[in-house]
Amino acid sequence: MVTDLTSNKAPKMRARDVSVFYGTKKAVDSVSIDIHTDYVTAFIGPSGCGKSTFLRSFNRMNDTIGNARVDGCIELDGEDIYKSGMDVVQLRARVGMVFQKPNPFPKSIYENVAYGPRIHGFAQGKAEMDEIVERSLRRAGLWDEVKDRLPDSGTALSGGQQQRLCIARAIAVEPEVILMDEPASALDPIATAKIEELIDELRGRYAIIIVTHSMQQAARVSQRTAFFHLGHLVEYGETSQIFTTPRETRTQDYITGRYG
Amino acid sequence: MAEHTVKAFDEDITRLRGLIAEMGGLAELAIQEALEALVNGDDELGQQVVKRDKKLDALESEVDAMAVRMLALRAPMADDLREIIAALKIAGVIERIGDYSKNIAKRVNRIEGRSRFEPLTLLPAMGELAADMVHDVLTAYAARDPVMAREVIERDHKVDAFYDSIFRNLVSHMVENPATISSAAQLLFVARNLERIGDHATNVAEMVHFAAVGSYPTDIER
Repeated sequence: MVTDLTSNKAPKMRARDVSVFYGTKKAVDSVSIDIHTDYVTAFIGPSGCGKSTFLRSFNRMNDTIGNARVDGCIELDGEDIYKSGMDVVQLRARVGMVFQKPNPFPKSIYENVAYGPRIHGFAQGKAEMDEIVERSLRRAGLWDEVKDRLPDSGTALSGGQQQRLCIARAIAVEPEVILMDEPASALDPIATAKIEELIDELRGRYAIIIVTHSMQQAARVSQRTAFFHLGHLVEYGETSQIFTTPRETRTQDYITGRYG
Repeated sequence: MAEHTVKAFDEDITRLRGLIAEMGGLAELAIQEALEALVNGDDELGQQVVKRDKKLDALESEVDAMAVRMLALRAPMADDLREIIAALKIAGVIERIGDYSKNIAKRVNRIEGRSRFEPLTLLPAMGELAADMVHDVLTAYAARDPVMAREVIERDHKVDAFYDSIFRNLVSHMVENPATISSAAQLLFVARNLERIGDHATNVAEMVHFAAVGSYPTDIER
């Protein structure tokens, strides 16, 4: 089953019959889904449902796990990202990732953002790099808070600021897709709200996929929601429909707190 | 339906539904007694109906407070969300039904020359139709039955037909005998109130349908 809710535009990313194995254990079972730039897609489901594993297969982060194997096909603009000869470093610049725990480099705020553009050769000189750093920090909603302390260490920021720094870092290399794995689950409500506001502002510019355990967060920030259970994609639809009138009993039981 | 992991949520929902059922029972009784008082000129019974309406108002406030608390504390989703939104709206509508019955009861001692009025004999039948709609829509609510809710909606045109007939009847009374205008006007309001009760029962039925399946019956029919 392929779920495509906006057939008028080519999807940014397309997954077809994707299965992910850890050794012999099948964590994701033959999932097909289309991801569009126009909206935020949320992956929800109970722990161990395969949503994070599936998310990580969109920029081949599973490659770093020794016994992980991905079957099926994932395309970025129609190009198979698992084909041989694929430049994985280049792929991860195009498909950026933000993790649950903010992980700034133990370097200055400026360097955290400048690092990616530098290794990818985005900037011709200091002035251009300054511009990239400022633009990225502005888009991440962090500029006003850090503009006077750019040489300070990124790790000296608060948790919420660190997370927005990580988002600025991901944005700095001009990605097309941003994967977010529980980006706000370690943050307080205000920092969470800032991240959610940021996601809303970034929508449309990048295709965004967010994995979250907070149903309310998925309902707030996304326009499409996919519910996973035991490695299967149970239901994929408009977020408002999923949270008000889910079609599948398993979806309903999960989002209303009746699951297991 | 499977239980919630948080048991207190299930208890809250059960309590909320219990309050709605209690309101429905009171509203149904109010319609019946208001008409009984009207037909028999029983002012005492009429006063009782007026007095008991306060209980409906209090129950509505209780539903409101409870629904708001549940929305705030549980952040309900899907059928739970629909259930609570429906309860909130249904409570408001039933309270209105109570108001209409109260209004009928207030008119008991304003009718003169009861025996002369043919419409007075039609009103109890109309009232019974409206009261039955209220009764059945609450049965549908208790059973979460969208089909039954739809059946209630389909019956509203009978109440409307009654209203048209009583209206014409009363107008001709007024034309023929201007001395009856004052009383006839009172009965016109009574008929109007019953017609509105039918409409409100329809509103409740739509919410029952919404809570059960997530769409309004009108989405499909019109």
